[in-house]
Amino acid sequence: MNPLCKPWEHATSRRQFLGASAGAMAFGALGGLVSPQAAEAMRKKEKQVLFVWLDGGISQLESWDPKPNTEFGGPFRTIKTSVPGTHFSELMPQCAKQAHRLCVVRNLATKDNAHSSGVARIQRGDPKNRGVPYPFFGSAIAKLMGPTSSKLPPYVWVKPGSGGFKTEDAGFLGPKYGSLAFGDGKPPEDLLRHASLSADEDEERNELRELLNQRYAAQRRPAYTEASSFVFDTARELMKREHIFDTSKLPVKDLDRYGRTELGQHLLVARNMLEAGVRFVKVASYGWDTHGDNFNASASLVPKFDRALAAIVEDLAASGLLEHTLVIAMSEFGRTPRINGHVGRDHWPEAWSIAMAGCGVKAGAVVGATNDKGTDVKDKGHDIGAVFHTWFRALGIDPKKTEYNNNGQPLPLAHEDMEPIKEALV
Amino acid sequence: MQLSRPFTRWLLLTTLLVGARVFAAEPLHVQVDQLIAKQAAGKPFAAPATDAEFLRRACLDFTGTIPTAEQTRAFLANQAADKRTKLIEQLFASPKYAERMAEAFNIQLMERNGDNAEWRKFLTESFRANKPWDQLAREIISPDFKDEKLRGAGWFITRRLDKVGQQDTDYPGLTRDVGRLFLGLDLQCCQCHKHLTVKDYKQVDFNGLFFPIQNLKMQAAGGDYKTAWVQEGLVTNKYEFVSVLSSVKGSTGPRVPLGPEIEIPTGTTKDELWAVPPDPKTRKAGVPKFSPLRELAARLTAADNPQFARNLANRVWWQLMGRGLVEPLDLHHSENPASHPELFDLLAKELVEHKFDVQWLVCELAQTQAYARSSVLPTSADQVPEQLFLAAKERPLSAEQLARSFLLAVGEHERVVEGKGWAESDKKKTFKDFEKAFLAAFANDAKEPELTVNPTLKAALFLRNNDQVLWALQPRPGNLIARVAALKEPARMADELFHAILSRPPTTEETAALEKFLTKRAADREKALGHFAWAMLSSMEFFTNH
Repeated sequence: MNPLCKPWEHATSRRQFLGASAGAMAFGALGGLVSPQAAEAMRKKEKQVLFVWLDGGISQLESWDPKPNTEFGGPFRTIKTSVPGTHFSELMPQCAKQAHRLCVVRNLATKDNAHSSGVARIQRGDPKNRGVPYPFFGSAIAKLMGPTSSKLPPYVWVKPGSGGFKTEDAGFLGPKYGSLAFGDGKPPEDLLRHASLSADEDEERNELRELLNQRYAAQRRPAYTEASSFVFDTARELMKREHIFDTSKLPVKDLDRYGRTELGQHLLVARNMLEAGVRFVKVASYGWDTHGDNFNASASLVPKFDRALAAIVEDLAASGLLEHTLVIAMSEFGRTPRINGHVGRDHWPEAWSIAMAGCGVKAGAVVGATNDKGTDVKDKGHDIGAVFHTWFRALGIDPKKTEYNNNGQPLPLAHEDMEPIKEALV
Repeated sequence: MQLSRPFTRWLLLTTLLVGARVFAAEPLHVQVDQLIAKQAAGKPFAAPATDAEFLRRACLDFTGTIPTAEQTRAFLANQAADKRTKLIEQLFASPKYAERMAEAFNIQLMERNGDNAEWRKFLTESFRANKPWDQLAREIISPDFKDEKLRGAGWFITRRLDKVGQQDTDYPGLTRDVGRLFLGLDLQCCQCHKHLTVKDYKQVDFNGLFFPIQNLKMQAAGGDYKTAWVQEGLVTNKYEFVSVLSSVKGSTGPRVPLGPEIEIPTGTTKDELWAVPPDPKTRKAGVPKFSPLRELAARLTAADNPQFARNLANRVWWQLMGRGLVEPLDLHHSENPASHPELFDLLAKELVEHKFDVQWLVCELAQTQAYARSSVLPTSADQVPEQLFLAAKERPLSAEQLARSFLLAVGEHERVVEGKGWAESDKKKTFKDFEKAFLAAFANDAKEPELTVNPTLKAALFLRNNDQVLWALQPRPGNLIARVAALKEPARMADELFHAILSRPPTTEETAALEKFLTKRAADREKALGHFAWAMLSSMEFFTNH
């Protein structure tokens, strides 16, 4: 046996390197002294986020905020949900059964009706302009909370199309807070252990590397070697869990529940990642921009989303993870109540909905309302800045007390003139 | 003038006694060490680097790659007292020197924002000719697209003014980069208001530099020239700006930041304004007589602009010592003084006197004791403040240095360069492909200054599982693993592995570790050797210039 202790047993010494992020606190709490069972129990209590992004704009009228039998209501009926008095569109039968776990905000009123700028604006929380690009929510959480004690990368993005290391979300935080993207749900290049290596060999050569590093680092500054060991350990943790990234090995029963669709599969991968301890998982789905033939398109799209979201909420609740996992499902805006000449709906930031569940948000709540025709919010609506405040609060971060430090420039986490949506919080 | 020895000795003595200024007739490298020692105020220095450490460092710095095992053995066996000076001379005389300098300056100036063959050629030829830095900077800041030899320099500007998607042409970004990279002044925050934390930087400084830059119009490739180029517009009035904080208005002509404003000529007639008047028939834009950019480049790079020389001194120092005398490199101002103010002034002054001779400065710094110290700390890390330069600072190898050194170490360099190496589904890959993979794994993201050690998950996964990396560690005729496997005896095997990869002999413990590992994995010794070599190649010792 190798008499040297293994590098990954030094969770505490690695804290120095992680010290820059608040995640170090959660990390240090484990300290390496607790039993694996207790560690697993504590792991499950660490806060996590699932962020489902429906790119292009899901129609609120065909999902969370139906207006049947009105001028702009469209052909679909409403159905009862598990919360008396709350109705969803009939395209959402599965989510209707989970309504007691969801928190739907129906009075979002945001500012941008263009995709190109709106996507970034919404995911950055549209703070006041400080001349620097703000991080997307996932990068913000990667920075503020860091990896969980699982040591898995804090921000993973499951998406159609290309994968790899996507740094553009990180804004001024710098590329290190970007996401590790699973393109088409598949692991990025070089993530899986090379076919020519057995697990033993891989472990042994890595121990040799650490041995050489120890000799080298003994009389030098520790920071570089620690930083290097940290990324090698993260790589090791990821590779160890390669089974969870393998879509060909997803259980058939689960696949049927989540739906054999791209979004269904990706949410199932996301569930595995959340269970393994990834701090923030973003799942993106494209093609929601239904300018033409909105109703047929919605009849096809919405049930796929409905089924997959309901399944993951149900699973997270069953495993106990939901209590500590904030689930968010949203787009860059809603869709116009007015039906256009192509039987479609256009972009509508003026009055739309998002759904949340889990950590810190009020289960079974419906917050705010739109007017009878759904053309505007009743009373005052909430801008995305308020939504960001709400999310940070739900995760136990106080944006009034915490701020970013961008090379000496203090920057607020969210729009400083806005407040959280209190009715949505526990 | 030759000074008599007793006189020199007397001066030296007074210098020591008074503890004041060093004597100017000493070569620069001697003065540098005196000033470093003065600032250290008795704190212990690291020991001199071992011959092996020095050889590896100098080879990486001046030719861009680690030495071969044979080079290392020969250098270690050489008993000549002046072998280090001779080595430096040899490396500077090598054709690799200009390529390495071009590479290092390309990384600094373009910050991984793409690659361009003409630009690289321009840089390489400039360093091969040891072009004075002021001339080189002028050719970059105010490029002459008519001259085919100099056109490559224009990529610094045209690349930055390239339209990206629907974003506005990034004139502010180019302004910022000219200030940062040629003057060490990051004026970005003063675009819209006075700088909130740096009192020296004024809104007029950003806008005076911005003025001639926003006056540039991108012209597509394939028109007048093969490459994209920029054309200047007519300037007759000052540029006006307003502070978004105080609403106070200001105006300026073209201006060297923290320096003088350039006067705009007062002519009004067609003849006074235009060298080539615009042609309404062909709709061709004219060429104004007054070129704000050319004037700016001339003043900015002038010997009387102290900031221009300081920035170069700081960046060359950083390149060789791993830390600037002023940190951050692009935040020079009066409240952020150099760690060694006297040394910093001296370097800047000497650079001007030597007409911005970069090679002279690099050569002087290479001869300092500061450069030739070990990176092994003399005392515990908290007792060795980095800014005192008591020990050599570890510097990450660039992705290019890594790709070359990796191939050289494993004995696959020639095969890959000849296109007979690694293949992917029967398609033979070139050295460029190999380098590209290393760049993707190890280089910083575009537009991120590549200044610090930044180990990434991507890099760790690449080293662990990438096909190319593992391909290089399989035995093949003539390569490292095959060579070492043929040696049989563990001591000789360790000797070859360590000289080839880490450019030094192994320690007794390391030889023992290899022997133990090979015994354990006796069933497949060649594969085991590959694993051992992999561990060495992914270790910090290989990854840093230490």
